[in-house]
Amino acid sequence: MSGASPRLPAAVALAASLLGLTFAALSSVDYTKHLDRQVHDVHCSYVPGLGAEASADNACRVAMYSPFAALFRDRYWGGVPIALFAVGSFCFFAAFALYLLLAGRTSPRRAPLFFAVVGFTPLLASIVMGTISALRLGHFCKVCVGIYVSSAVLAVAAIALFVLDRRAPPPPARTPRIVPPTGAADRTLIDDEPYGLSAEARQNELRPDGTWLLPLWFAALGLFTITPALLYVSALPSYSSYITSCGKLDKPATPADPLIHIASPGAVQPVTMFVDPLCPTCKAVHQRLVSEGFLDKLDITLVLFPLDNECNWMVERPFHPGSCAVSKAILCSDHRAMQVLEWAYDNQEDILATAKLPAGQASVRAMISARFPGLDACIDSKETKLRLDKVLRFIVNNKLQVTTPQIFIGDTRLCDEDADMGLAYTMRKLAPALEVK
Amino acid sequence: MKGSGIVALSAGCIALVASVFALQGQVSAAGERLKTGATEEPKSQVAIANDAEAPYCTPPFKQVLQRVLNACGLVGADARHGCQPADVKTLASISDDDFNALFTPLKDRGAVIMFDDGSEKLDDGGKKVIDDLWVDRRGGRYFFVVARASKTGTPDLNRALSHKRANSVLFEIGDKFKDADLDKQVGMLWLGNEFAQLGPEYCQWNVSRDPKKCAAEAINRSAFVSWVDCQL
Repeated sequence: MSGASPRLPAAVALAASLLGLTFAALSSVDYTKHLDRQVHDVHCSYVPGLGAEASADNACRVAMYSPFAALFRDRYWGGVPIALFAVGSFCFFAAFALYLLLAGRTSPRRAPLFFAVVGFTPLLASIVMGTISALRLGHFCKVCVGIYVSSAVLAVAAIALFVLDRRAPPPPARTPRIVPPTGAADRTLIDDEPYGLSAEARQNELRPDGTWLLPLWFAALGLFTITPALLYVSALPSYSSYITSCGKLDKPATPADPLIHIASPGAVQPVTMFVDPLCPTCKAVHQRLVSEGFLDKLDITLVLFPLDNECNWMVERPFHPGSCAVSKAILCSDHRAMQVLEWAYDNQEDILATAKLPAGQASVRAMISARFPGLDACIDSKETKLRLDKVLRFIVNNKLQVTTPQIFIGDTRLCDEDADMGLAYTMRKLAPALEVK
Repeated sequence: MKGSGIVALSAGCIALVASVFALQGQVSAAGERLKTGATEEPKSQVAIANDAEAPYCTPPFKQVLQRVLNACGLVGADARHGCQPADVKTLASISDDDFNALFTPLKDRGAVIMFDDGSEKLDDGGKKVIDDLWVDRRGGRYFFVVARASKTGTPDLNRALSHKRANSVLFEIGDKFKDADLDKQVGMLWLGNEFAQLGPEYCQWNVSRDPKKCAAEAINRSAFVSWVDCQL
């Protein structure tokens, strides 16, 4: 082992860095494409470059839309994607691994130590991000996993490289030279160093220490890491004119409208939210508002907009079957309206699946009754039917699009395009009273 | 060592520059798409929330409806509410049969509320039918009440009677549902016995009393009520 070359782990580290760079670049490209505020396919595969998907529940899209995917999201539309920092740092690690591969044991002694220390940082970042994915998102994005694995391999290779380098044969301890007594002219004095060492040990003995290079290496790592992010920020387009371009609420709610009002004690920003309790996008936006820390600060007028033709004449088929029953349950819940809405969001897939079965409507009603007993009479009443009709008429009077969710900050509509990656930025602009977490 | 360092540093810089260059290209392209509004895929048209539009909303039907709405106080700030026979004749500009034919598609959507001879008083059956119909609004924009009187009596008396019958329906809805916007939703026409009398075949419609007791005279002591599912 002592003679094993550190070149092998250097090669592995180089490969891991390049793989990490590829995954990070793919993730950054996916993120960057969305800067046009449109929805694009997102790569989500363990094989770099494969698996571009358009689906909304794509784990990579979920991760991309999450508040953990980028920094400074309230300052820049979409923020600065974390993957950009990975791009820069993996470039550095690839270069350093290449250096160690080429230089072998001629590299300064401090180089393997430096590489072992900094080569661990991507793994630490991956552990943090992986934990967030597991605990907060409930999904593991495959491209992210690619970065995690690359980081782990890089860390292991960097440690192995350091260990192998340390095990290189040390130069023998210098023994004090015996000065022959004067007159011992018949003895030949031979200096056994360095010629008496093995080639490897001799090489090791000649290696520079390289301590003075450490600050330069750290600076280079820092420079590589932040350069893509700095250039990205400098190239970002201006969004200020776009975020207010999606219209206004023509006829804001009045106390006479039979809408639901929900406000926490700390609510500072009036919003009108048009939602379908069984609409997956509504659920996603709701979760984003919660995770961004906005929801509790919103003074909400909730307008139920079930996209189910059982009660909504504006749709020709039940896009979200069972939604009318759930909407009526929310209308019947008064102060518990948000609780029922969040229950519907949490159980959305089950409710939708149940509603599609034979006798699905009755089964959905049974689910509601089981969770919120005592609402049956209200749900079946003429008053509730009329109230829901009036809620829908409020939507007609405002000539809104037949789509959910629609959120109005004050009376300015939050564009659909700004409800995911650009949410923090847009909320900060449209509702300065809200502080971004 | 020095050569290795130069090679590695160059390679690292090339990788970084290439990555950044590619990403900057993506940012610029996205910025351009943002500016021009160009999309990779055409945007699907999203419907705008509106009243229902049933198949019976033919152009002639909507034309008459629109005239009635304009002239009878449902559209605009006109305080006048409702149309009497002379108005309807003028507004509709169509024959009695054609006028009735317009409402034929509403057979299953509406109902005929029947009254006693010479009376505008609603019975329980009539009230129930009105309540049920009002609640079953769906996407209906206007609730029409077309009140009539039988041939018995003078035209003036029947005109007044049919007016009272239309009002009875309006008051029933107002009392029951306390809707502040009632005036903007309920369109009333009272035809007396002068225009568009119903034939006995209308006894087969959804009537508020026993259809067996329905006859040519009785069916005209009535108010036809229905939501109209047309976009106007």
